[in-house]
Amino acid sequence: MMLLRLLTLPYVRKHLLRTGLTIAGVALGVLVFVGMRTANDSVLYGFQQTVDRIAGKAQLQITSGEGGFPEEVLERVQAMEEINIAVPVIEAQVKTGLQGQGNILILAVDMTGDRSLRSYDIEEGEDAVVDDPLVFLAQPDSIILTREFAQQNNLSVGSKVSFDTMVGPKSFTVRGIMKPGGLASAFGGNLAVMDIYAAQHVFGRGRSFDRIDLTLKEGIALDQGRQAIEKLLGAGYQVEAPSQRGKQFETISKLFAVAASLNSLFALLIGLFIIYNTFSIAVAQRRSEIGIARALGATRAQIRNLFLLESALLGLTGSLTGIAGGLIMAKGMASYIGQFLGDLYGVAQHTEGLALNPQTLLLAVGVGVLTSMVAAWIPARDAARIDPVKALHKGSYESITASENRWRLVTATAFVGIAAFCLVTGGTSGPKLYVGYFSVVAASVLATPILVRALILGLRPLLRLVLPVEGALAADSLMQSPRRTSATVAAVMLSLSLVVGLGGIADASYASILDWVESVVNPDLFVGTNEQISERSFRFPASLGDEIRKLDLVDEVQTVRSTRVNYRGTPVMLVAIPMLQVQGRIKPKVVAGPANVFEAAAKEGGVVLGDNLALLQNLNVGDMMEISSPSGVLRLPITGIAIDYTDQLGAILIDRSLYLKHWKDETANLFRVYLKKGVTPEAGKQQILMRFGSQNRLFVMTNRQLRDYIVKVTDQWFGLTYMQIFVAVLVATLGIVNSLTVSITDRRRELGVLQAVGGLRRQVRQAIWMEAAGIGLVSVILGLALGGLILYYYLGIIREDMAGIRLEYVYPVKIALLLAPTMLAVSWLSALGPGESAVRASLVEALEYE
Amino acid sequence: MSKLALLLATAAVAAAQDARQIMQDMQNRQKSDSQRYQGWLRVADAKNKITEKRWTYDRIGTAGQSKVVIRFTEPAEVKGVALRVVNHPDRASDQWMWTPSLQRDRRIAFQDRSTRFFGTDFSFEDLEERDVDQYDYKLLGSERVAGKECWKVESRPKKTKPSQYTHGHIWVEKDRLVILQIESFKGDNLIRRIKYTDYQNVQKIWTPFQIEVEDIGRKSRTTLRTEKLEYNVPMKDDRFTLQALRRES
Amino acid sequence: MIELHDVSKTFEGKRQVLALDHVSLQIAKGEMVSLVGPSGSGKSTLLNLIGGLDHPSSGEIVIDGERLSAVSDDELTRVRRDKIGFIFQFFNLLPTLSCLENVSLPLHLRGWKKQKAHERARELLDLVKLGKRVEHLPEELSGGERQRVAIARALSIYPPILLADEPTGNLDSHTGEDILKLIRDLHERLNATILMVTHDNGVAESCQRTIRLRDGVIVEDIRR
Repeated sequence: MMLLRLLTLPYVRKHLLRTGLTIAGVALGVLVFVGMRTANDSVLYGFQQTVDRIAGKAQLQITSGEGGFPEEVLERVQAMEEINIAVPVIEAQVKTGLQGQGNILILAVDMTGDRSLRSYDIEEGEDAVVDDPLVFLAQPDSIILTREFAQQNNLSVGSKVSFDTMVGPKSFTVRGIMKPGGLASAFGGNLAVMDIYAAQHVFGRGRSFDRIDLTLKEGIALDQGRQAIEKLLGAGYQVEAPSQRGKQFETISKLFAVAASLNSLFALLIGLFIIYNTFSIAVAQRRSEIGIARALGATRAQIRNLFLLESALLGLTGSLTGIAGGLIMAKGMASYIGQFLGDLYGVAQHTEGLALNPQTLLLAVGVGVLTSMVAAWIPARDAARIDPVKALHKGSYESITASENRWRLVTATAFVGIAAFCLVTGGTSGPKLYVGYFSVVAASVLATPILVRALILGLRPLLRLVLPVEGALAADSLMQSPRRTSATVAAVMLSLSLVVGLGGIADASYASILDWVESVVNPDLFVGTNEQISERSFRFPASLGDEIRKLDLVDEVQTVRSTRVNYRGTPVMLVAIPMLQVQGRIKPKVVAGPANVFEAAAKEGGVVLGDNLALLQNLNVGDMMEISSPSGVLRLPITGIAIDYTDQLGAILIDRSLYLKHWKDETANLFRVYLKKGVTPEAGKQQILMRFGSQNRLFVMTNRQLRDYIVKVTDQWFGLTYMQIFVAVLVATLGIVNSLTVSITDRRRELGVLQAVGGLRRQVRQAIWMEAAGIGLVSVILGLALGGLILYYYLGIIREDMAGIRLEYVYPVKIALLLAPTMLAVSWLSALGPGESAVRASLVEALEYE
Repeated sequence: MSKLALLLATAAVAAAQDARQIMQDMQNRQKSDSQRYQGWLRVADAKNKITEKRWTYDRIGTAGQSKVVIRFTEPAEVKGVALRVVNHPDRASDQWMWTPSLQRDRRIAFQDRSTRFFGTDFSFEDLEERDVDQYDYKLLGSERVAGKECWKVESRPKKTKPSQYTHGHIWVEKDRLVILQIESFKGDNLIRRIKYTDYQNVQKIWTPFQIEVEDIGRKSRTTLRTEKLEYNVPMKDDRFTLQALRRES
Repeated sequence: MIELHDVSKTFEGKRQVLALDHVSLQIAKGEMVSLVGPSGSGKSTLLNLIGGLDHPSSGEIVIDGERLSAVSDDELTRVRRDKIGFIFQFFNLLPTLSCLENVSLPLHLRGWKKQKAHERARELLDLVKLGKRVEHLPEELSGGERQRVAIARALSIYPPILLADEPTGNLDSHTGEDILKLIRDLHERLNATILMVTHDNGVAESCQRTIRLRDGVIVEDIRR
């Protein structure tokens, strides 16, 4: 459009930095949105791909928790008339011990069996993957690798390779190489195939399988088949379609999605204000041009649409930039999420690429453009309403009409009322929480001009105290331009409140977790199967615990076994501990139930729940929990609820004897070791490593090391807070520079007169600085106040919707104290440029305005 | 019904009966209470790569109701691996594989019968014994195979005998009533061709000392040569059990 | 061509200002009229009203047969766009556009294609003897040159009515003379209806007709 080229381009060119910062405003919101969503989608997609590839054509899969089930089940299933083909599977995760290869999943199947279920082919055409199937089967160390893995590690048929397994290092002989594609592409090639019975032997699985994959006869519906199988096998078995595995992931990734959405919404809101500000200022600065255009025959619609088009283009640019940035962010986030989720499946997800969801991208563009246009709507409308006569006569005019003020007050009060109502009528949960949250934000935004005015009036004496003349000038200038000032203040206020909110969460979670660690995580040493003490597919025999107990430096050993079980569709952690022993050593923070909750649970044969699980699932002491075990569905009473941070999705603590009885699994994930009095952790660690380190794969962590590790993880929250501070600084800088620039332009005459009648340059500069300081101060005050309110709602949302974690309300004073001087410094720095331009403007030019 | 049609119909029935009779006769001539031999197996794949193995074969019973144990003896890596087959006249056989290094057996699931037997061109199903009653027969005519005049019979497995094949062609030498060749089909596709050669008279039973299986699709060939073949050797039934396998490894 | 029937204009502000008080007048097609009067007499207001830049508080204005009070704002804009050329005292050129672009702006607003618009612009710049400065920015031109560009712009649509608000007010006498000559020249050539506000008596007398305003009322209407 011609007008765009003639009226917009020159302006943009002159104010490149400002345009850039404005685009950044939109980009930020879009970036967060796209980044987190794409990361999520990619991991999920990658996972689903893997599941599909491994599942092949299997229609249903039968599992029983993590422990596996007896072989006989296979024959019973194969005998069913609904079943077409059923094959057994064992999966074992092993460490390759090779450079940079991490873990590899061994898929063990019946090599004599029918391969029509999988999409791979071991013996196919001319390129037989396995040279001699008989030898393969006869030798239990036979393994098939993917071509990718083999090439990466210089292996070929006949090579020997050693993997670190759950039962120690084992040597395998490569007797087949899979072509790439299909199954061989799962896990990026970190997949190996071996015979299932050999796997039982090698991995000490006795006579059990992990899973049965099956297809149904033609004409049998999925549900029909599933029900028939469930009926045959009874409780304790899960029958799912492969795609349902992904559902578990989805539950968790939803957590990230919610966090992402909230964050990006906030960021977009801030972006909205930045754009509003920018366009208001632009309209003000280009008033004369607009007047001329109107005088020359441009219609109101043309002017309005011009600005809307500008905002749309800005929004588009911002969105595209945000998308690019978001995708970069997604890569980083994907590996983080993948690692976290990999714990569930066993092998770390390394996402091969990003799953670009066109829907997400389109949505991002749409949202970015829409936000821009919405933000620019009022300024565009104002531009269209510019009176050509007035515009051509170059005066400053800006006011918020009395009626508008009234409207704002009314609406703001209404929102406050809504928020109060929600609060009073039990607003600590559910939709009332969100409504309250949004109402508070809306109210504060609407009330900003009024609050700004009030605060300026209040601060005026302070400003005058510092510099009498300049302070007064500054205060007056701020009061005379309420719309411009309040737009800036609103943007900064929102940014700062977010800082306070995040800071509060970080502080609270830090405090809570540390508290929990102090009281519960108090053994001297932890003996686990990997560096993070968190891996579960590798396990120790219980006897190892007894052996450790025999060491002379050791006082007590508590055996812990944790495994994931499905509870109402969520994979929660079942933790089996020797409750009486544990009770003797720790002081759990009991939320409900008796103080000696573990002792009571052991005696009663009940469970203790982590309180986040209880909250999320709405469970109370005295309720019965139904937990699936290999020996059937257990109905256990909830003896108590205690604070527990073992697992984000929730933990069920059960006595070890109960676990042994029903799961018949004597292995352990972790040993909690208490040393004798006077023994240093280092000495104890040394003794254990010397005695057992060579034969078993074990890692010993001291209490100090574990705490440091936990703290490191919590620190990530802090990382977010600091990032948000950075954003706030950016927003403040842009807003203040913009505001001041226009203020100076509008007051050029006044400033010129000031100098003409004897004002020093220094004084003019200082007036500008004071104005900036005023904006900064007001923003900080409002931001800290709003932040305090937002923190309350955030804690509620975390508690109710995200993790069920109960965090205490602690106002982040340290962060707040950091913000005030930071914002003042930023204000001053932002004022430097405009201050200079104020004094540089020639006097004559300023006065020659008549 | 016209005379011609009647004639043809009768002929067909007669032919079928004839075919069945031929097969029955053939089977009767093969009857023995037990069989034992040492086998030498040679597999040549499409690229002409050769692998060789040896096994011992013991069978007790006959004509579809029998027990078989095949034990590999060479090469060293596969020594002791065994296949145990229990044939039933009226249904599919039960098969187990024994792996000495694992000290355990595994059942060969019925669904897996079409799988190749340990890298040879035999499928598990091919190792079953067929009883005449499990098939329907039709006489297709006469043909010369390997220089001999043969009956060409078409066999179709009955419903009680599920099979990977839809039908087969069997060439029975008219002279000695021994099978010279079997072609097994799935629909129109020829899957396998088995040639029986080097017939020798052992204890009055004509026995092929060389069996060659050709997998048409894979272009590979397995040759089984028998040595030290004996019939009616006294064998104890309990040698064909799982425990026996375990004991002997 | 231009008719005013009982037009009044009051400005609302801290005080009410009656800028025009029941003014009626008629200007025929092709007339060249000067509008004089002391500062605050309402000359500029009158011009703005005729140009459709503002609305009268009461009364009727008819431009080329169209009643301005009866039309919508968009229609008013159209009238302004198609029928009126404006020459301002302060030139009001867009500082970021070249002379060529400034002159062609009204044409773009009318939807003219770039090439055609630039052709016409060049034509007009030649007319005002600035054909060699088409790519220059306003800041590179002298006051007189800028006014000439403004005139070229006003003429770009070949308007039937030309309104000039103190066209020579910002120029030295010599340049001012040149500008006036130009305007008169154009008046003869294009037979446009010209209404010029000026405080210069000499300029006023050079026009066929002079209307004098004082305190919002016509006190004199001289035809020569």
